[in-house]
Amino acid sequence: MGLASGALAVPVFERMRGDAPHATFKLRSGRIDYTRAKAIPTVCFGCTTACGVIGWVQDGRVRRIEGNPLEPNSRGKICAKANGMIAYTYYPERLLYPLQRVGERGSGQWKRISWDVALDEIASRLRKVRESGHPERFIFHYGRDKTKGFSSRFTNAFGTPNRLNRRSICSSNRRVPLMSFYGREFEWETQDFANTKYIVNFGANPMEAYQGGLFMMQRIQDARVDHGAKMVTFEVRPSATASVSDEFHTVMPGSDGAVAAGIAHVILRDGLEDETFWNRWVNVPLDPIRERFAQYTPEWAEAESGVPAEAIERIAKGFAAAAPYCTTMSNRGSAKHYNGVQADRIIRMLDPLVGNVGKPGGFCLSSLRMWAGRYGQEGLPKISQPQPRPPKLEPWLPGTPKFESLPAEVQERVKGFPEEWQKKYFGELATPSEYPLSWHWYNMRVGQLVQDYIKKGRADVEVYMSYTYGAAYGYPEAKLVREVFRDESLIPFHVAIDIGYGEQTALADMILPEATSLERWDAHSQNAYNLRPYTAIRQPLVDPPGEARPLQIILRDLARRIGGGMEQYFDFEDVEDFYREWYKDVPMSWEELKRRGVWTDPDRPLDYELYERPVPESELANSVTDRETGIIYADSSRKKAIGIMQDGKAVRGFDTPTRKVQVYDDILQRAARAVGIPEDDPLADPLPIFHGIPGFDELTDDQFILTTFKWNVHTQGRSGHLKYQAEIVHTNPLFMHPDTGSQLGIEDGDEVEVTTFRPKGRTYRAGETEPVGSFRNRVRFLRGIHRRVVTSSHHVGHWEHGAVGRSSTDKADADFPGTDAQAAGLEDADIPNRIWWSKERGGSGGGVHINDALPINPAPLVGGQNWYDNVCRVRKV
Amino acid sequence: MTEVPWEKIHQPGAGAPKKRAGMVVDLRRCIGCHACSVSCKTEHEVALGSFRTRVRYLEEPEGNQIRFLPLLCMQCEDAPCLDACPTGAIARHADGHVDIDRDRCCGNKACVAACPYQAIFIDEGGLADKCDFCTHRTEVGLDPACAAACPTDAIRYGDLGDADDPVAQYVQKHAATAFKPEAGTRPSVVYVGLEDWMTDAARTGIQVSSDDDEIVYETR
Repeated sequence: MGLASGALAVPVFERMRGDAPHATFKLRSGRIDYTRAKAIPTVCFGCTTACGVIGWVQDGRVRRIEGNPLEPNSRGKICAKANGMIAYTYYPERLLYPLQRVGERGSGQWKRISWDVALDEIASRLRKVRESGHPERFIFHYGRDKTKGFSSRFTNAFGTPNRLNRRSICSSNRRVPLMSFYGREFEWETQDFANTKYIVNFGANPMEAYQGGLFMMQRIQDARVDHGAKMVTFEVRPSATASVSDEFHTVMPGSDGAVAAGIAHVILRDGLEDETFWNRWVNVPLDPIRERFAQYTPEWAEAESGVPAEAIERIAKGFAAAAPYCTTMSNRGSAKHYNGVQADRIIRMLDPLVGNVGKPGGFCLSSLRMWAGRYGQEGLPKISQPQPRPPKLEPWLPGTPKFESLPAEVQERVKGFPEEWQKKYFGELATPSEYPLSWHWYNMRVGQLVQDYIKKGRADVEVYMSYTYGAAYGYPEAKLVREVFRDESLIPFHVAIDIGYGEQTALADMILPEATSLERWDAHSQNAYNLRPYTAIRQPLVDPPGEARPLQIILRDLARRIGGGMEQYFDFEDVEDFYREWYKDVPMSWEELKRRGVWTDPDRPLDYELYERPVPESELANSVTDRETGIIYADSSRKKAIGIMQDGKAVRGFDTPTRKVQVYDDILQRAARAVGIPEDDPLADPLPIFHGIPGFDELTDDQFILTTFKWNVHTQGRSGHLKYQAEIVHTNPLFMHPDTGSQLGIEDGDEVEVTTFRPKGRTYRAGETEPVGSFRNRVRFLRGIHRRVVTSSHHVGHWEHGAVGRSSTDKADADFPGTDAQAAGLEDADIPNRIWWSKERGGSGGGVHINDALPINPAPLVGGQNWYDNVCRVRKV
Repeated sequence: MTEVPWEKIHQPGAGAPKKRAGMVVDLRRCIGCHACSVSCKTEHEVALGSFRTRVRYLEEPEGNQIRFLPLLCMQCEDAPCLDACPTGAIARHADGHVDIDRDRCCGNKACVAACPYQAIFIDEGGLADKCDFCTHRTEVGLDPACAAACPTDAIRYGDLGDADDPVAQYVQKHAATAFKPEAGTRPSVVYVGLEDWMTDAARTGIQVSSDDDEIVYETR
């Protein structure tokens, strides 16, 4: 206060209310002039939620991202990640020129090449692969592909089934119960949070990171604060969602299913279920459910989870009393475990049990994806890719050369599959035979096993094209990914398409610089939490800098060079023309769609109780109704069910084979049988069942569960280089309960070493005793964390992604030929000199990479990565 | 059909001056997402290491949850910074918010020291800077960047001098209070759900990393 005290003693001028209009002030440089800037709507790419946004463009530069108030899901709001798109676009170390490796793979030595040279080289290799009769030896593996089918146009035209993704890393354990219960079209639920009164949340974190999180958080907070809704959260740590919940219970990892089972027990014991709804719409009678859930008393659930029996009683009664204005929610917290599929099936069962499904304030389902007149999309304009489209690929049926080239054990397994499954089989990378439920409904793949399979020779590779793919940094046991990518005998040619130079692109032979989301077109539609379908477009706000090109142009030009018929599917010059054609059925002019960014039908009824809607007369004309089940089939072939008879009326029902909610599903049993898992294993049980995580019941006092989580400002491993996000979160301390610290003789701030071990049960390298890996990190105490849990975020600790990603003011190699910030106008005074948290500036540095130590652990049958089953030891350094 | 809202903002009346511009921050709604603070940094291209808007994470003294506290310039009616500035660079705008005239600022930091809210910083050019309620936005009819972004409507911008204004009514209805009322500065940014312990906790907060408590953005 030294400086101020003198000034305060003698006020040298009077307060000037009204005396100083701002216009006389010198504007701070860099300020946006909204009288000149132009607002252009587009779709965010900051995370997978894909909110409608507008970008303010001034002097040819995007200056600000704002919500698009016309977009009904996000309603004009954005999160911390949205403005990161600007940092991404104007990143001084952004890739601007095609590069070719000149030293050893991974040595970081590159030379700049022309697009012609790059595309000719890639096309000549791809043509050879395609003409060899083994198009599957071309792999296109993406981390985030929001092209809504453009990239599969390329892979289908090429003839490879290996367009691989990261669904197993993300949400497949949660999606399987959803698809089993409600059918393929609803891989993603849309609870009616805006109107709900009671939310029971099992380990979902929509306030920080969740597909649809931004849509959910605003509706949940409205419901809670304005309408008095109650939210209960079960979590292992005080996430933002747990922290804003009205009630938060710390649970043992993997015990969410036990809590849900206890809730179901109370509801059934006290007769609080909606028997009318259940009997009308669930495919199994209540009696076997009552019988099974009699054992799951609240006291039993308390012993499993640590949640007091009294709380389980109270929550069960509160949830049921609020019905139908109540809903469950769940995500990785409950699902990313060995028992996650069955746990989520118990959770999912709570909704039909109280009859809230499809009801206002309840567990609702809304049409998703590009519309083709499928379930819930009746009456919507078709949004389908321009013709001609490449034909569907032929499955690898027994007897075909592709099938015969498979290892004998794989052939044997696939031959044992039901015929309908065999027709979906495309080899071990696209459709791994050990995980049939990863491809039964649609192709979720098992991404974390791809490199292992390649290493073991289960699939041959000629060209690996990685796109927005960060496995070398972000996958479990990422060191295995790097090992395989470094081995030229396993992956002879790796071309990476990306915006920045990251850990994955560093392992490429050739790098192609892509346009960012602010510089390119994409089609877009997804589930709507306002329960009214809409579509939006991503459009370029500015041109890409340097020689960066949008993916559509890259793939078009490759297709033309490869030829052999591929070129016919890429017959467009201007990318905009292609998208105009794609949207031709939307009843709004193209110019108006670009001006608004969104189309929706404001008069369309909301997606409540879709299952009670009548089947249109036109569809009934050739239909056949099964007398016993009441299922209505489109025609006498009985292949396609279109509805079900209820009280003499033909209604839609659910989009499942039984047209009912499938609380009973023998798909698990059949899948288990097909891969040799005994049918009495709970993994195979057709009814929801609780089973523990193998080995958790034998934990010794010095063993803990290491979980990971996402911060609200970061997006997986793809945001570490965004300066404003990194400034807020650049470290990932190991959070632990103070009591755990006391037990281990550790104090807040101490450095510890964490060593991880292989999981048990029917999973990858189960039971091997060698540690998976270890890392050192600092401890941060936090009450609210389970005493058996230590937890750390997995975003940081990059060793590539430029100065911000590496948290280093040590300037990147000035000779790096991939970029030229000065020429492209991408210089930023902040980078690198103002990275105040860098070690060079005396800061904490950029955190610890922990993903090498997280074991690959696919859930049996499904393949979803069990991220939160990691047994570890912690020792003070 | 709904009109395109962003083409309406420059029209007459869009940025009509307020009698007393103000904000209410409802901590019951805040989820700590940083949409406000990152929006602010992008809007003003605030250099790394400086902050006009921050979100503090506070560990509850009892209980096991985290609470979130967005902090920015309180635009005080009785502003110590304004009184402290020897060059008259700090002045009050017609709508009541406090602004820094960069032509008159000499960077002597008297305002920085005087502010009880650590809301003012010296920027990379050596001049004082702080939140100005995004005057360049409000003048054309846009909300300040933080309020516009806030996905849960925890931050609302309006006219506290107009009894009919929804934000003024929100303040009344929920009995919003000042942060650090003992400073006696009569802030134009007021809070719903503020609890006594938060003032002390906000001095330290929960930093992401314990080994850089002194330098993480929350304490700068």
